[in-house]
Amino acid sequence: MNSDKITKTVLFSVSILILMLAAGMLYSLVGGAIPAFKEFGLKFIFSGEWNPTEGEEKYGALPFIVGTLMTSFGALILCLPLSFSTSLFLGEYFRGTRVARILGLLVDLLAGIPSIVYGLWGFYVLRPALIEIGFGGRGFGIFTAALILAVMIIPYATSLSNEIISMVPNDLKEAAYSLGATRLEVITSVTIPNARSGIVAGYILAFGRALGETMAVTMLIGNTNQIPTSFFGTGNTMASVIANQFGEADGLKLSSLIAIGLLLFLITGIINAAGKLIIKKMN
Amino acid sequence: MRVFLSFILAVVLFSACQNSAKKSSSSGENVSLTAAGATFPLPYYNLAFKDYTKKSGTLVTYGGIGSGGGIRSLKDKVVDFGATDAYLSDDKLAEMPGEVVHIPTCMGAVVIAYNLPGVDELKLSDVLLEKIFMGEITNWNDAELKANNPGVALPDLEITFVHRSDGSGTTYIFSDYMTKVSKKWADEVGTGKSLKWPVGMGAKGNPGVAGTISQAEGAVGYIGSEFAFAQKIQTAKVQNSSGEYILPSIESISAAAQGEIPADTRVMLTNSSDPASYPISGFTWIILYKDQAYDGRSMAQAKATVEFLDWMVSEEAQAQAAKVNYAPLPEAAVQKAKAILRSVTYEGKTILE
Amino acid sequence: MKSTFAWKDHTSRRLLKDKAVLVGVVVLSLITISPIVLIISKLVAEGYQQISLDFLIKNTPDTFEAMTAVANGEKIPGGIANGIVGTLLMVTLASAIAIPIGVLTGIYLYENQGKFMANLTRNISDILQGVPSIVLGLISYLWVVKHITNGFSALAGSVSLAIMMLPMIVRSTEETLKMIPQTLKEAALALGVPYHKVILKVLVPTGFSGLSTGILLGISRILGETAPLLLTALGSSIINLDITQPTSAVPLLIWEFYNDPNMIGLIWSSSLLLMAIVLILNIVSKQIAGKRN
Repeated sequence: MNSDKITKTVLFSVSILILMLAAGMLYSLVGGAIPAFKEFGLKFIFSGEWNPTEGEEKYGALPFIVGTLMTSFGALILCLPLSFSTSLFLGEYFRGTRVARILGLLVDLLAGIPSIVYGLWGFYVLRPALIEIGFGGRGFGIFTAALILAVMIIPYATSLSNEIISMVPNDLKEAAYSLGATRLEVITSVTIPNARSGIVAGYILAFGRALGETMAVTMLIGNTNQIPTSFFGTGNTMASVIANQFGEADGLKLSSLIAIGLLLFLITGIINAAGKLIIKKMN
Repeated sequence: MRVFLSFILAVVLFSACQNSAKKSSSSGENVSLTAAGATFPLPYYNLAFKDYTKKSGTLVTYGGIGSGGGIRSLKDKVVDFGATDAYLSDDKLAEMPGEVVHIPTCMGAVVIAYNLPGVDELKLSDVLLEKIFMGEITNWNDAELKANNPGVALPDLEITFVHRSDGSGTTYIFSDYMTKVSKKWADEVGTGKSLKWPVGMGAKGNPGVAGTISQAEGAVGYIGSEFAFAQKIQTAKVQNSSGEYILPSIESISAAAQGEIPADTRVMLTNSSDPASYPISGFTWIILYKDQAYDGRSMAQAKATVEFLDWMVSEEAQAQAAKVNYAPLPEAAVQKAKAILRSVTYEGKTILE
Repeated sequence: MKSTFAWKDHTSRRLLKDKAVLVGVVVLSLITISPIVLIISKLVAEGYQQISLDFLIKNTPDTFEAMTAVANGEKIPGGIANGIVGTLLMVTLASAIAIPIGVLTGIYLYENQGKFMANLTRNISDILQGVPSIVLGLISYLWVVKHITNGFSALAGSVSLAIMMLPMIVRSTEETLKMIPQTLKEAALALGVPYHKVILKVLVPTGFSGLSTGILLGISRILGETAPLLLTALGSSIINLDITQPTSAVPLLIWEFYNDPNMIGLIWSSSLLLMAIVLILNIVSKQIAGKRN
C-alpha cells in the first residue's frame, strides 16, 4: 500500500482515540449522573438548593454554575491585558533577547506551581493583603478566587500566543515597515491578524483551565453553597464542590456531584462554541 | 528523539518486569496491604502502619481520601480494608456486596477552637453552643456568654463561625453531639458529614479551619483534637452530661468510651454519661469483609490483613496513639475488637485463633 | 521631526501611540511576573532550610519524628524520595502516552482543516481542557483502578495525567504547524518526499519550538496535580517502581503534609523542589529547541 495512505490512516486513527476517550468519559459520567436526574429531573440545573441533610436531601446545580462562570470569566478578564502584553513583549518587541528568555522562563514557571501551592499562597499571602487594602470580610470570595485563577492561567495564554506571534513570517512584517508603518501598526495590522488563530486557541485553553481548577479555588472561595450575591461575596464553583464533597459522598449526593461534572463538560462545550462563533463573526 | 523514546521504553519495560517479579513471588511471602479512608486518623495510621512494616516486613499503604472514599474502595474491592469515622448504618451495610465488620482503632475528639487574644479559658454550655452556631448570639460580649464566664474579659467582637466545607467525619461527630444536646439543632440542622449550615463560612479540611481561625480574631469553629493539640490552639471547655466543664485531653476522651459498647462496636460516643468524659468524642473504625474469600483473594492476603488488624488493637500499637495525640482504645473496646477479628473467616474457617 | 507636540500632526500622533503602547506592554509584563517572584520568594524563605541531600534521597518521616523535631526546634528528618520517584515515574509514563497521541492528532488537525471530523476532534479536545482534574481522576478510577489493575496504581495515575496533558499538546501542535509557511511543505512534497518523512523531517523540526512549548506546559501542569492522584495512585511510604501498585508523588505528599499538623512545615520545601524540576525541564528544553534553530 501507498506509504502516504498508511500515514493518513495512522493520523486518522489516533485522532479517533480522542473522540473515543470523550465518548467513554461521557458514558461513565452519564451513567453516574442518571440517579440524580431521575430524582430531580431537569430542575436540577436551575435549582439553587443544596441540602445534604439525611432524609431531606435536595441538590441543585445553579449556585455552582453561577460561581464557576463568575470566577472563570473574571479570571479571563483579569488575565487578558496582562498575558497579551506579555506575549507581545516576548514574541514581538523583545524577541530573542536575554530579557525575553528570562521573562519567558519566569512565566512558564507559573505553570509548574502546584495548584495546592497557589491555594496556600492565596490563603496565607494574598488574602491578608486583600484585607489590608480594605476588602473587608475575611478575604474569601469570588474575587479572590478569580484573582488567583488569573495568575494560574497566565502561562497558558501567554506561552502559546508568544510562540505563535514569534512565528509570524518576517517578510510580511518587513513589507509593512517598508510602507512606513510604526511598530504598533505592524502589530495591529499584520502580526495579530496573522496569529489570531493561535492567540485565540491560547485563550480558549486558558479559559478551560480556569473552568476546571479545583484546589486553589476551593481554598479561597469561602465555600458557601448558595448563589453568590456579589462579585465580592463568597460562593462555590462546580469543580470545587466536587473536590470538597467527593471523598465523603455516596448515593444520591455522589450522583449529584457526577451530574455537576457532566454539566461542566457541557457548559465548557457551549462556551467554547459560542466563543468561536463570536470570533468568526468578528471577521 | 530516539534517545528519548528508548528511555521511555526502558522505564515502561522496567516497571513491567517489577510487576511480574512480584507476581511470581507472591505465593506466600511478602504480601502488601492497601487501604484507604478517613483523614481524621491519618497521622496515627501513618505512624502505626510504618511501625508494622518495620516489624513484620508487610508493607501497608494508606491513602487519606476521606471516609466515603474508603467505603467506596472497599465496596469496589480495590483495597484490603477501608477506614471511616462514621460507622456504616444498616442501610449502608445492606448496600455492600458482602457482610462488613467494624474494628475500632483509636479515639479522637472534636474540639471547639477560638481566637480571642487574652482569653485563656472559655466555658461554653450546650445552650451557648447552640446559640452561637445557629446565629442567635453574634458578639462575644453577649450577656449570656458573660454570665457563663464570670471574670473573663470578653471583647466587643463579632463572632465568625468557621465550619468545614468538605464532607468529613469530624463534622459528623460534632453534629451528632449537637443533635443530642439541642432540640433546635436536631430539628433544623441534624447530623451528617456535611450539613446545611445556618451561619458561618466554610474552610477546607482541618488545616483550613484551623488556619482561618488563627488568622481571624473573633473566629470560632470545630476541629479534630490531634490538630488542636499539636498546634496548641485555644480550645473551649464544653459541658458534659454530668454538668462538668471538661477540657479535651487524652484522658477525658478515653473516658467517653467507658459506657456500654455493643458487640459490633457501632456506637457514637458523644455526650457520654461518664462524669470525666469529654462529650464530643468518638471512635474511628476500620472496615473489612467478614468473609475474606472473595474475588479470588488469596489466603495469604486475608491472613496478612487480619494479623495486621490484630496488631492494631494490641497494646503495642495503641501505645503509639497517645504519642501523637490520639486517645487509645479502652480495654473493653479492645476485647470486642479482638472478638470480631476472630469471627472473620476464609472459606468457612476462621483465620485467627 | 521638528516640533514634538504638534497634536494636529498625524504622524507624530502615530509615533506617540506607538511609544505609549510599548511602555504599557513593558509595565504590564512586569506586573505579570510579580506573582511568580512573590510566590517563589515565599517558597524559598519558608522552605530552603529543609532542602538537603537527605531531602532528596530519604523517604517521608512519620508524624512522630516530625513532632519531636518541631518540638525540639530541629529540622524535620527524612525527605521526599518516594514522592520524587513516583512523580518521575508517572509523569514519564503519562508523557509516553500523551505526547505521541497529542502530536499525531495535532498533525491530523493541521492537515484536515475545515473537515467535519477534524473540527469535532478539535472541539472535543478543547472541552477536555475544562474538565476538572478530579473528574478525570474519577474516570481513571472507574476504568483503571476498578477494571485493569484491580487496585490503586501508578498506571491509573498516569492515565489521568495523560488525559490532562492531551488538549495542550494537540492544540499547540496544530497552531504551530499552521504558522509554518506552506511553501516549505510544498517544496518537500514537490521533491517527491513521502508524506511521513515530510512530517518527521520538515514540519516537526521546524515547529519544534512551538511543539515543545505545548508539551512543556502540559508536563508542568501535571507535575503539580493532586486531586486525580488521590483517587488513582493513592500514595506510598516507600519508593515504588511497580506501575500496578500504589505510588507516591510530590503533590500527594504536599497534600499529606498539609493535613498533618506536625508536618505542615514541609509543604514549602516540597513545592520548592517541584519548581526546581519545572525550572530544569524548561531550561533543558529551551536549550534543545535553541540548538535546532
